[in-house]
Amino acid sequence: MNSAPGTNNPSNPAGTQHFAPPVRQEMEYLCADCGAKNEIRSREPIRCRECGHRIMYKKRTKRMVQFEAR
Amino acid sequence: MPDGSFPRTEVKIKDTFDTIQREKNFKNPPQKGHSVPILNEFVTPHLESFNALFDDSGLPAGDGDGRGLLSLGLKDIGERVVFDGRGEIGSVSGQRGWGNRLSFWYESVSVARPMVPEKDQQARERRVFPSEARERLTSYRGRMSVKLCWRLNDNPIESETRDCGLLPIMVRSVRCNLRGMSSAELVKHHEEPEEFGGYFVINGNERLIRYLILPRRNHVIALNRPSFTNRGPSYTPHAVQIRCVRSDQTAVTNTLHYLSNGNAMFRFSWRKQEYVIPIMLILKALVGASDKEIFEGIIMQDYENTFMTDRVELLLRSFKMYSLCTGDQCLEYLGNKFRVVLNMPEDWTNKALGVWIIQKLVLVHLETPRDKFRMLLFMLQKLFSVVSKSCTVDNPDSPQHQEVLLPGSLYGMILKERLEEALTSIQRTIAIDVSRGEGSVDFFDKRYIKKVIARTSYDIGAKMANFLATGNLVSPTGLDLQQASGFTIVAEKLNWMRYISHFRSIHRGAFFAELKTTTVRKLLPEAWGFLCPVHTPDGTPCGLLNHLSRTCRIVTAPLAVAHIPALLAAHGMTQAFSPYIDGRRNLCVQLDGRVIGWAPPQTLKQLASNLRIWKTEGKHQVPLDLEIGYVPTSHGGQYPGLYLFSTRARMMRPVKYLANGRDDQIGSFEQVYMDIACTPEEIEPNVSTHVEHSPTSFLSILANLTPFSDFNQSPRNIYQCQMGKQTMGTPATALQHRTDNKLYRLQTGQTPLVRPALHNTYGMDSFPNGTNAIVAVISYTGYDMEDAMILNKSAHERGFAYGTVYKSQTVDLKDIQGGRSTSNLNLHFGFGYDIRTEGEKQHSCCAFLDLDGLPFVGTKLSPGDPVAAYVDDTSGRTKFVKYKGDEIAYVDTVRLLGSDAGDSELQKVHITLRITRAPVIGDKFSSRHGQKGVCSQKWPTVDMPFTESGMQPDVIINPHAFPSRMTIGMLVESMAGKAGAMHGLAQDATPFQFTEEDTAVDYFGDQLLAAGYNYYGHEPMYSGITGQEFAADIYIGVVYYQRLRHMVLDKFQVRTTGPVDPLTRQPVKGRKRAGGIRFGEMERDALIAHGTSFLLQDRLMNCSDYSTAWVCRTCGSLISLGYDDVTLGEQYIGPNATPKPTGPGGEYCRVCRAAAEDESSRARKALETGQNGVKGVHSDLKVAIPSQHVLGRSSKGGDLDIVAIPYVFRYLCAELAAMGIAISLEVQ
Repeated sequence: MNSAPGTNNPSNPAGTQHFAPPVRQEMEYLCADCGAKNEIRSREPIRCRECGHRIMYKKRTKRMVQFEAR
Repeated sequence: MPDGSFPRTEVKIKDTFDTIQREKNFKNPPQKGHSVPILNEFVTPHLESFNALFDDSGLPAGDGDGRGLLSLGLKDIGERVVFDGRGEIGSVSGQRGWGNRLSFWYESVSVARPMVPEKDQQARERRVFPSEARERLTSYRGRMSVKLCWRLNDNPIESETRDCGLLPIMVRSVRCNLRGMSSAELVKHHEEPEEFGGYFVINGNERLIRYLILPRRNHVIALNRPSFTNRGPSYTPHAVQIRCVRSDQTAVTNTLHYLSNGNAMFRFSWRKQEYVIPIMLILKALVGASDKEIFEGIIMQDYENTFMTDRVELLLRSFKMYSLCTGDQCLEYLGNKFRVVLNMPEDWTNKALGVWIIQKLVLVHLETPRDKFRMLLFMLQKLFSVVSKSCTVDNPDSPQHQEVLLPGSLYGMILKERLEEALTSIQRTIAIDVSRGEGSVDFFDKRYIKKVIARTSYDIGAKMANFLATGNLVSPTGLDLQQASGFTIVAEKLNWMRYISHFRSIHRGAFFAELKTTTVRKLLPEAWGFLCPVHTPDGTPCGLLNHLSRTCRIVTAPLAVAHIPALLAAHGMTQAFSPYIDGRRNLCVQLDGRVIGWAPPQTLKQLASNLRIWKTEGKHQVPLDLEIGYVPTSHGGQYPGLYLFSTRARMMRPVKYLANGRDDQIGSFEQVYMDIACTPEEIEPNVSTHVEHSPTSFLSILANLTPFSDFNQSPRNIYQCQMGKQTMGTPATALQHRTDNKLYRLQTGQTPLVRPALHNTYGMDSFPNGTNAIVAVISYTGYDMEDAMILNKSAHERGFAYGTVYKSQTVDLKDIQGGRSTSNLNLHFGFGYDIRTEGEKQHSCCAFLDLDGLPFVGTKLSPGDPVAAYVDDTSGRTKFVKYKGDEIAYVDTVRLLGSDAGDSELQKVHITLRITRAPVIGDKFSSRHGQKGVCSQKWPTVDMPFTESGMQPDVIINPHAFPSRMTIGMLVESMAGKAGAMHGLAQDATPFQFTEEDTAVDYFGDQLLAAGYNYYGHEPMYSGITGQEFAADIYIGVVYYQRLRHMVLDKFQVRTTGPVDPLTRQPVKGRKRAGGIRFGEMERDALIAHGTSFLLQDRLMNCSDYSTAWVCRTCGSLISLGYDDVTLGEQYIGPNATPKPTGPGGEYCRVCRAAAEDESSRARKALETGQNGVKGVHSDLKVAIPSQHVLGRSSKGGDLDIVAIPYVFRYLCAELAAMGIAISLEVQ
């Protein structure tokens, strides 16, 4: 599961060695209908707070993305 | 104009590209109406036929009361009855013994628009739009419910509304939320500005019901089928057939067979079972006709015609054996015989059942028995006429006798049947309860009945969704159709051309696809103007899958024609009820398969032309869509008469009527008897009746878009119609909101310099399909042989034909979980605690996945990279979903899909992946003239030839592509494009514009001359390598090139080693599984013929399933290898204690050893009995292997040798051994 060797104890299959961050991350998405920004935590229902729409788009990454320019 | 035609004078082609206007339209789509209105018109048959299902269809009422097909269907379903008594034997028909009578029927049915479920309180927009269904991969459907009524004896009527589930709704129909929206509003709802609907959204896919060709309704056709003789003794190939259609568009086909003894048998089918009745029985049952009435009705005073009189006499005489005299007797006879199969209320009398049969199964398009009687007499007359060869048989493959199965009609038929099924199932449930004597049965208890209704399955919506998703028709009656599957297709948005042609495609029927004969595929002159002769695929579906011509309409509105019989009678027609009509001098007049009168041929001709003038001028309320089929008397031609058609589902097309210069709509039946000039110049005085609005109107939309198609050999135009649909173009403008599995997009689409006028009419500029390329026709490097083409490397680098493929991947945790729809979800998107997301040693997946477990938008993915992560609650482990493709892709969009009511957490994600596809060697390109080719080289610009002005071609093609293919259109396009580019003109390439006197070459040659080029478009060119001028001038110009979707990257297949089949150990097949390419029998033959046996062995054995095997020298068996453990030395077992013979590795032949061990016991036995026992193994087959092919001859004793054999051979030996056949190899 874990590619970084040594970080995980191999005799510990259930993954009891936890890494810190809580999984309940808050992420920002865009409503597909009204375009409003929505902060949805994981395991929360997918629904726009503004209009109640049921589809969300993930925002484009802020990381650098390099394209092949040939 | 509804058909998109316009008077010829207006065909003034603008020579501009309207770039600014287009730009404006794109930025600000019209607030009212549409930017390209014609696109909303060509799907009207789909939409209006669906609308016709409902009472508020918005269609004219016609002769009816404006009720929808569903309401009419409910009326036709009628009621179902159950009794709570046992109906003991001995009780005569009547109420006695049956107990209480409970009857059910439907009062009304209603379908709502698609809405957000009530459960969801928060949605501000309660309507659901198709784009949501597409994006969420669900179906676009609205709630359907029926009002079910029941009545016990004569008690008051009770009713209940039963929910029927969610019914798929056609986009832009009267039940769709997009109905009547303008372009601007459509864009706001994430649709195309020209969204025209006509399809259903099922699980995110756009599916539509394809038009299907059916026999023309309510018209008698004469048939001659040799297969009819197999129906029974004395059956002949002659028959007449009529497909009768009720007002709710359900159909019943009736056939009248001619028997060799002069009799006629009436055939119909009931629940897929065919029944045959003597025609006399029906004639008598209908109106209680006397023998004389029948005789006179058929003969019609033509007593000299002994052929007819003989046969009618036979009819009458042969019926005497039934000894049924009156109509009531006949009805009772019918009812008695059919009671068991009909499943009608038990208390009905035989007579009532007889009446019911006649009403439901005999000529169902007619209401009254008298009309049916007259029509049956007409059928008999036509039948006898065909038998006596005084008229010919009709061709059922000709569009003259065909109409279209409309999507909405089919949908309505299925809905009606599903509703009927549900009603019958209620009846059956109660009947079973009664017969079991269950205590709960109490007809007076409302709760019992409600319980039964609740217990009955009413999910009609799901059944309809299943029909649309699979195209399979599940039906106990078969709906009078010849096929049970293949009704629906996916409207692929591969490119715009393909998409729109789905809606105009019309199929002959799956039944005909299997037919060995090719007669059904023939292009018939009757199809002119209705079916496009060019736009049909080549190969298996050729001629079966056609496309409607551009101006062809399908009538979908009911017409008001009730006054027509009176109108005709006032102008000289004898009415049908008149008792004495001379059949020799009068011809029949029919309106929608109803005999409305008789008239002499001359009067009839006058009536027909009167009607045509009235209908074109709108007088006497004769509708324009009335079809006036006047069949004149002929010697052995079609059966004469005047046949009027006003029903729906007919193909009609606009032409100009010459008599008054008005627009006329003509149908496929009447067209046969008309003289229609293609152009005004072709009009022959006193011969031509009509003239075409435009000479191109017989072509389909796609065929019309081929420039200068009249210069090409016709198969090339057929190829272009196909390749236009496989082009990498612009599939849609709302690409952001599409979830198709695969979309091809051309990044650098251009509007063609050379285009027909219709290119603008159909707004094709919104969806560019190719690139204008400078094309030189020259044999240059040798890399342009055999339809290969050379691409200019710099053109490629500037973005020529650069394309993208969008693929989608759905991750549904419900599927991964295994379909368990438990309320507590175990899987969640995101990372578990076992993944380190931060710091130096963060998990490798963090390069691709965000903290929510979904990929970053824009990430580059290689094969096998993770696209999603999810946590399993039970194990606490994080798992990954991998990118399955084998190319590098970029994440384009990530959609988080909620549930219907927006109340559940994230379980489903849709990821759009973008794959870049720059043109590479091996990609396929084509011009618009069926000239396809494969890119063979990307040639450096410096080495490309150049003209005197310094132009270098983007594309080089070989001159040999032209002589045999004769695509002069491409040469003209090249000239026109060159001139257009120089002068800034959009060149008109509409076919049939030039003549022998005014040639295209002169027209464009003059333009080229004015631009300073050679008149014929050729130029001196210089070699890019030597710089020397070529000996010949080179033909160079501008041609619109399409990039086809067949790309090497999707096709290449290489393999050295790889997966093998576990059973045979041969390489597997299929590109997807990294398989090999089959070296088949014919390839084998070629190698044998060349004598290259080593190559043969290499291919068939060494590179396939090479294996080595032990073979026993004594018995020759391949499959009897055994091993002894020889590590501890040789074994001594048994009383004799002799060492058992084994090879050096301990291998031995089990058969031979067993035989040896049996030897002693057999010898003893032989001594006892005095006979010789059976000797060891005895093999049936022997294969000899020469000694040089034995790989390892065992040196140290033992009987086994090693040989090289294909592994399948060993498998074959094992299989044969299982059947008791031994194979023996003779090792020398």
